[in-house]
Order: sequence, then C-alpha cells, then structure tokens
Amino acid sequence: MTKITIPIGPQHPALKEPLSFLLTVEGEQILDSALRIGYVHRGLERICQNRNYVQNVHVVERVCGICSHIHTTTYCQGVEALLGLQVPPRALYLRTLLCELERIHSHLLWLGVLAEYIGFTTIFMYAWRDREIVLDIMEELSGGRVAHAANVIGGVSIDADEAHVASILDRLDVLERQIKLFLDLIRRERSFQARTRGVGHLSAEQIRRYCVVGPAARASGVDVDLRRDAPYAAYKWLNFQVITAEEGDVWARTMVRVLETIESLHMCRQLLTELPAGPLTVRAPRRVPPGEVVSRTEAPRGELIYYIRSDGSDRPARVKIRTPTLTTLITLHDQLAGVHTADVPVVLAGVDLCIACADR
Amino acid sequence: MTEWLSVLFALLVFPGFGFLLACALAFQWIDRRVEARLQGRVGPPWFQPLADLIKLLAKEDVLPVGANEIACAALPMVSLAAVLTAALYIPVGGWVARTFEGDLIVVLFLLSIPALAYFLAGWLSVSVYSVVGGSRSLLQFFSYEVPFLMALSGPAILSGSWSISRIAAQQSQAVWLALVQPLGFLLALVGLIGKLKRSPFDIPKAKSEIVAGPLTEFSGRKLALWHLTMHIQMVVGIFLLVNLFLGGSDVGVTIPGVLIFGIKALFILLMLSVASALYARLRIDQLANIGWRVLAPLALAQMLATIWIGGG
Amino acid sequence: MLSRLRSLLYLLPQFWRMLFTRPVTVRYPFAPLKLPSYFRGKVTIDPELCRGCGMCARDCPAFALELERESRDNFRLIHYHDRCAYCGQCEASCNFGAIKLVNEFVPAAPQRDTLSRVMVRRDNEEA
Repeated sequence: MTKITIPIGPQHPALKEPLSFLLTVEGEQILDSALRIGYVHRGLERICQNRNYVQNVHVVERVCGICSHIHTTTYCQGVEALLGLQVPPRALYLRTLLCELERIHSHLLWLGVLAEYIGFTTIFMYAWRDREIVLDIMEELSGGRVAHAANVIGGVSIDADEAHVASILDRLDVLERQIKLFLDLIRRERSFQARTRGVGHLSAEQIRRYCVVGPAARASGVDVDLRRDAPYAAYKWLNFQVITAEEGDVWARTMVRVLETIESLHMCRQLLTELPAGPLTVRAPRRVPPGEVVSRTEAPRGELIYYIRSDGSDRPARVKIRTPTLTTLITLHDQLAGVHTADVPVVLAGVDLCIACADR
Repeated sequence: MTEWLSVLFALLVFPGFGFLLACALAFQWIDRRVEARLQGRVGPPWFQPLADLIKLLAKEDVLPVGANEIACAALPMVSLAAVLTAALYIPVGGWVARTFEGDLIVVLFLLSIPALAYFLAGWLSVSVYSVVGGSRSLLQFFSYEVPFLMALSGPAILSGSWSISRIAAQQSQAVWLALVQPLGFLLALVGLIGKLKRSPFDIPKAKSEIVAGPLTEFSGRKLALWHLTMHIQMVVGIFLLVNLFLGGSDVGVTIPGVLIFGIKALFILLMLSVASALYARLRIDQLANIGWRVLAPLALAQMLATIWIGGG
Repeated sequence: MLSRLRSLLYLLPQFWRMLFTRPVTVRYPFAPLKLPSYFRGKVTIDPELCRGCGMCARDCPAFALELERESRDNFRLIHYHDRCAYCGQCEASCNFGAIKLVNEFVPAAPQRDTLSRVMVRRDNEEA
C-alpha cells in the first residue's frame, strides 16, 4: 500500500483549538506523526511583566478558557507567599469551591468533546446540558461563566449567603444523579466501549518517563494528586479520595475523570456545609518584596506550576507558567503510533489537550 | 398526448421529483426534530431543510485544482437520477408509476449507484480526506450490501414474486412480513442505515476524523445535489422497507391507504432517528467485523430458512 | 442475555424519559435571558461620585479606562467598551463606589468607533 500524509489541523473539525499534526498513513494505519504547536501563542508571560500584580490576576485568568480560576488561584497563591500573607479561611474555602466546580465543568466539557469525537452526539448533548448547572452556579457566585475574576491577592471577591448555599446544594444533587448516569453508561454501553477500550494506551513506565500529570497519569496507575500530596488552599481540611485506574487507555481516563467529578461534588458539599465565617480578604500591599516563588496546584488537567520572581517593584520581573498539557503533548507521538486513523480524535481527546494553556 | 402528460406528471410531480423533494425535506426535518428531542434540544424550525438547500444552491461552486471537473459535476447528477428512477418502481400508498416482474432487483441496483458514485467522488476530488473517505465508503458498501440484499430477498422468496407492488399486495391479504421475518426486517433496517451512511454507520463522512469524507471538496450546487441524493435515498429506502416488510398501504389506493402508508414510513423513520442517537460511531474495521461475522451469517440463515419453508 | 441487550440499547430508557421533559434550549434572543444579579456586564460610572483619582485606570488590565486630567477638578474619565474585558477590577479598585458593572449585556457593534463610550466629565468652574 502507498503511504499518504494526512494533515490534521491547524483547522480541523476534530480540533477545538489550533494545533497541527502531519500523519503518515498506510491504509488506515498511522506510521508516524509530527506535531506542531504555537498557533495560539499570545505572549502572556511577557504581558505579565508589563502589568502590575493586580492587573496580572486578570491576565493569567485568560491563559485558559476552561480552567481560568485555577490559574488565578496559582498566581495569587504565589504572590501571597511572596508577601507572606495569611489568607482568611473563608476565602480559602470559597477559592477551593470554585476550583472544584471548575473541575466538574472541565471534566463534563471533556466528556462531551470525547463523545462528539466518537460520534456519540447524545452523550455530547447530555454532558454539556448538565455542565450548564455548574456554569450557572459559578455565574451566580462570581458574575462570569468562565472568567470568574473571583480571586484577588489576599482573598476572594465573591461571597455566598446561606440561601445561596442551600440552592447550590440542591442543584448539586441533581447534577450527581446525571453524572451517575454517565458513569453507568461508560461502564456498560457497548459502542462507547468499542471506541475507547485499548485506544491510546500509556503504561505507568511511559507516564513516569514523560512526566505526565493529572487524570492521564492516574488512569495508568500513577498515583499523583497535588490536592493530597501538597495540599494548598482548603484541601488540607477536606476528606477525599484520589481516583486511579490501571488500564491506561482512553476508557480508563474517562472513568477516572467521571469518578473525579463525583468526588469533586462531595468536596463541594463539604466546602459549602463547613464554610467558616470571617473576612474575605486581607489587605495586600501593592509592592512585593524581592524574591522568587514556585506555586503549584492541581488543575483539572494535572499539575500547574507558576514561577514568579519579584524585584521589589509593583510589577513581577518574571512569570513562568508550566501547564499540564505540555507534558501530555509529548506522549502523543507514542500514543498515535500504530493506531487506526479513526482513533486519532479519540487519542487527542483522551489526553484532554488545552492548547491555549500550552501555548500561552 | 395524454400518455406523454402522464409520464411527465409521474416524472416531475408524483411520485417523481416534486413529491420526493417534499418528502425528503419533511423527513429530514422530522428526523432532526426527533433526534433533538431525544437529546433534550428543541431542533430546527420546519423550513430549515429547505433553507439549507436554497442556501447551498446559491453558494459559490468551487473545486480544487486537479479535480476532474466533468466527473465531479456528473457524479451527483447521476446518483440523483438513479435514486429518482428507483422511486418510480416503488408503490406509494398503493399507487405505482411503473411495475414489472423483477423490479425489486432493478431498484436495488439503482440504489447502489449512489454508493459507487460517492466512492468515485472521493477518488476524483484530490483531497486526502476524500480519498480516505472514499476507500472507507467502498469497504462499508461491501459490509452492509450483502446482508441487506439477502434480507430483502426474504419477502421476495416468500411471496414468490420479485415485483415490489406484488409483494406489498400479497401482504395485505395475509400478514405483514415483518412479523413473519422479524430478523430479516431488523437486518434490512441495519443495512439501510449503512446504505444511507447515517449515524452510527456514518463512517465514510466521519466529521471529527476526515472532515466530510468524499464530499470534503464539494461546495455549492454540487454539494446541494449530493445532500438531496442522500435525503431522497432515505425516503426511497424507507418506502421500500414499508412495501416489503410492513405491507404497503394495506387497503389499496384510497385516502386511508395513503395515511396508513405514511404512518408506517414515519415509524421506520423514527427507528432510524433513535438508532442514530443511540450509538457512538463505529470504526470501519468494527463495521466490517459486524457485517461479515454477525449480519451476513444471520442473513444467510434467514434466507436458507425462508427457502426451506417457502419451498417446502 | 438481558444485560447484553441492555448494553446494546443502553440509552432507550433515557430517551423515554426525555419525551416527558422539556428541552433545555434557551431561545435567546427570541426570549429574554435571565442574568444573575452579580453578572458583570455593562460598565456604568456615576459622575456624582467619581473624584477622578485614577485608581481604576491604573488597575485596568486591558487599559480600557483613560483619565485625562487638567487640574484637580477638571478631568475626563473615558471607558472604552471595545477594550474592556469586563473583569470588574475597576469596580473593586474604586474607593468611592462610582463604578458599577450592572447585569446588562453590552450590545455588539459593527465598528469599533460606533461602540458607545461611557464618559464622565467634570469642569468645575466655580471651584
């Protein structure tokens, strides 16, 4: 058979964000793949150096269009560490609440995208329908569906009264019923399994070699989760399990993510019922003393790292962002080798790429 | 003179182009509405299929450099013509334009022309996506066509006739063949989904994999004709199944007969809509597996049993 | 056998339920959309409260606010909708509560210059 080269991207129906693949294909089997990224590089790290610390909260919020809150959390956490601020517990709880709501929203969005890639439009519609519940909650809390602007240096700018907490708890119950349906479907439905089982397999050894983080690593049996390993914000006060699976294929990643969604729901309940009283912010000075800090959090896609260096002015001297997608991009070459062309979108969806994060 | 007029009427109005166009648009709307409803959405307004068609007809028609222009223009027309011709032999509400002994075979032959034209369209329009889509459509053709033909031969063998209108008429005196051969009916439905390239067998035009398959490089009027072919093919396929398995109009050419026929057609359409919302798209090797390991042996068993019973 | 059939027709019971539930589609713009009270929409500036201190312009990440000051009481504060990211930082930075983001959408415009601009101007001659 002759070899042909199929371009996937930068514009392709299977890609929500621009990246480009050149696939060398023989028949329907992929022999080689060449990846190219950088189509949505916006120079955000440089922009951060030209703005003051307060402005940068909103700049880093726009690194990603899905996990925006976790970026501001990581950034604020870093700046607070430089300033030596003690953030009040109520602020930490609300911060964590939005983090977990965002994880639910991100995972449901991902489930919808995967379902659409395998042609399962019904699950796509259901997942995105139920995601609206979370988005509505977040919009009521912060005033924005995705860009929450909830974090400020030294606390949060959002608050929830008791009536609001009760209404959120009610809606979380509805959401849990829906997610249980997805869970059952993933376990049983034949056509879903036919498309996801055994596709995009990564062994625990490969995960360690490529330093893959997040749900993709946990689905291969590598038990890493910063929420437990290096608790930040309010996670040290929460009871939760870290979900892992052994199979290491797209199906296992789906299971891990959906189970994590349910775990996040439980965490949201704990956060809302145990919400401590107290102030929402502490006053933060505008100038940050010289120093450098590494701030780490568990984003929906895995470990997110911010490095911030201050030279004593009101602007950071350097902000370096390492997003979890960068680690998973490298594994794609291994995952794509030998798979069927029809499985390319499944593999791409399986690692939950966020190109805007990776390109910054 | 009147002979000519009646031929023209049959070709252009009923059951020819005009009627089929109206049915295609209506069926497409119902299909989209039903699927939307099952997914918790509202779905498009009734004029959406018509608006889509007019929009495509008005759009600029471009082909990439290197594509065979004559073939790319001829292929959608040939397949549309084949589907429209097939419709002439299929009774609608008990009324049929042309019939002769053996028209079932002609109809099946005519209905397979679009599949081959689809493959050629992919091959001749120089895009890698359409080449991959074209080879997939050919592989899919071999997977569904054999069980589909064997399933459809069941009613013909039982009725002892290869004329669609006679098979339909015989059932109105006895019992629907879908009740005698439920397996055959199911296989024919699965085959029809494969023939129409509907989800879950929309493998040759899988959007997230190969953009639009063989039709990637088509636009404007040519794409409109392709879409029209697919939608009219759906109408013809549904009418064919109604006649072969559900007894056609039951009471001959009367107003209730047409209504009954319409309800049966809608029933099959509903099953197609539900099936497309029910599953993820299969991979081409999985479809070939199902086609040859499950569907074909079942269809063969069904056909042998029919011959044994019908002959004995 | 039954569980096999169930795994083949998994969503059918769900479809049955969907027949009796209303679709979730929001018919916006043909039907009104309910916005929560905290929604960060249109930026409004109260000319009575604004003192022209420029804190909002300093903290705006998108440089959407501009303060042109001639003297202590002669200033112009301009808000450019087309640059605004609706982050609400100006509201948080304003010490006098002059800026509010209200729960209204900002209408789209075909051209940048036709977008409305909120402008606060004070020319206090008597001061």
